[in-house]
Amino acid sequence: MALHEWHGPSDGTMSIVYSCPNCGRQIAMLTNQAETQIVRSLGVKIGGRSDVAAPMESLRSNLAMQREGVETTRPSTSQTKCPFTGMVNEAFARDALTWSDPALARLESIPAFVRPMVRTNVEDYAREQGYVEITELVMDEVKAHLEM
Amino acid sequence: MKSYHDIASDGGSNVLEQVSVQRKHLEERLADVRHIVAVASGKGGVGKSTVTACLASALNRKGYAAGVLDADLNGPSMAHMMGVQDHIPYSRDDAMTPALSHGRIPIMSMDLFLPPGSTPVIWQAPTQRGAYTWRSMVEMSALRELLADTHWGTLDIMLVDLAPGADKLQNLADLLPNISGTLIVTTPTAVAQMVVGRSITMASDVAQVPVIGLVENMSGNTCRRCGHEEALFTGNPAAHKLAQRHDIAYLGRIPFDARLAYCLDEGISFLKDYPESTAGKAILSIADALHAWLDL
Ligand SMILES: Nc1ncnc2c1ncn2[C@@H]1O[C@H](COP(=O)(O)OP(=O)(O)OP(=O)(O)O)[C@@H](O)[C@H]1O
Ligand SMILES: [Mg+2]
Repeated sequence: MALHEWHGPSDGTMSIVYSCPNCGRQIAMLTNQAETQIVRSLGVKIGGRSDVAAPMESLRSNLAMQREGVETTRPSTSQTKCPFTGMVNEAFARDALTWSDPALARLESIPAFVRPMVRTNVEDYAREQGYVEITELVMDEVKAHLEM
Repeated sequence: MKSYHDIASDGGSNVLEQVSVQRKHLEERLADVRHIVAVASGKGGVGKSTVTACLASALNRKGYAAGVLDADLNGPSMAHMMGVQDHIPYSRDDAMTPALSHGRIPIMSMDLFLPPGSTPVIWQAPTQRGAYTWRSMVEMSALRELLADTHWGTLDIMLVDLAPGADKLQNLADLLPNISGTLIVTTPTAVAQMVVGRSITMASDVAQVPVIGLVENMSGNTCRRCGHEEALFTGNPAAHKLAQRHDIAYLGRIPFDARLAYCLDEGISFLKDYPESTAGKAILSIADALHAWLDL
């Protein structure tokens, strides 16, 4: 079976389609948002863990709005918000989303307490759309999308 | 066709192994903590946090190494009450630094991770819809991390300030099977005691945590001008009868004292300034009962 395509993640779900290179038979894996979140809630790493967890790793990475000055745990490419995206990224060496400098500057101009929320929204949207880089244009799109 | 139980692995995630590593890590971290005592009450607002803060400083004054874990994740108050809300935890080696109240009492609280002001605890998720299905699990993970990933050092006693609710002690006991015991806090009102009665049964029969005793808080009011004492609540059902009914020790009564509330609001030690007040003496005597029970 070879990876054929994937959709999402969107609204917590993701689908991955595999197909047989020989006969073309396809199977799909669908994630259930509640199941995904419940496994995540255990503070374990989907796909197994070889490194040691950073102190308070899941608390710090799961808190949507965190105090300024508390170190954030740097998510590795395999540790994106959706664990399945992380796995797919890792398997296919797809890098995490990058932010252009002007987009990053714009993000930084937003009050600190809502910044993580905005970052998440923008990144979610970008992933849904399949963008690899977040530019100011993408941020405008998200804004328009949210105002709809 | 294979059944669920025939599947030899969980697809490589090794969730069970990861969870057991977490447990082992928690045990190792708490190996140098002699006693863990939970301060609990099914009823909210009866003074659990007040009792925790005061007992921590009383035990500290008596020369014991005491620490405080604020297990009220959604309504944390210990950092403020103990005057350390400005501490920003940072990681050193494999754990994070607690705040140090009065330079000596380590405190760990969710409060230290939240932006100042009225930001609530919101857990990131692909969607907040259906959050009721997983929120308590995330909270348990967070609680485990607050315990396991803090540099507690060597402690004679760790006091755990619980959120209101009879279920909270059971959750903690699941995480920490070796809790030494629990203090139960009530006020002299019939409604509080009705709710607290259920918590006592829950603690001893379900969570199977030894009940050290009952603390009656806000029992009487001390006049600030003349020191005259009068009942704060009319009716005043005696809490020692509740203790008797459940066959647990009655540890004493702490009167309502506006100076105590002021000190906690300001994050300063009440016992330092008013050790001779009725409330001060009551707190010190409850601390005596506690370390006698623990055989510290
Ligand atoms: N004996 C007392 N004298 C004066 N004020 C008190 C006394 N006990 C508690 N208070 C005040 O009452 C309020 C509630 O107390 P506290 O926060 O300790 O209750 P709690 O049981 O921890 O509440 P929660 O259920 O929300 O966790 C606080 O503002 C505290 O300062
Ligand atoms: Mg409290």
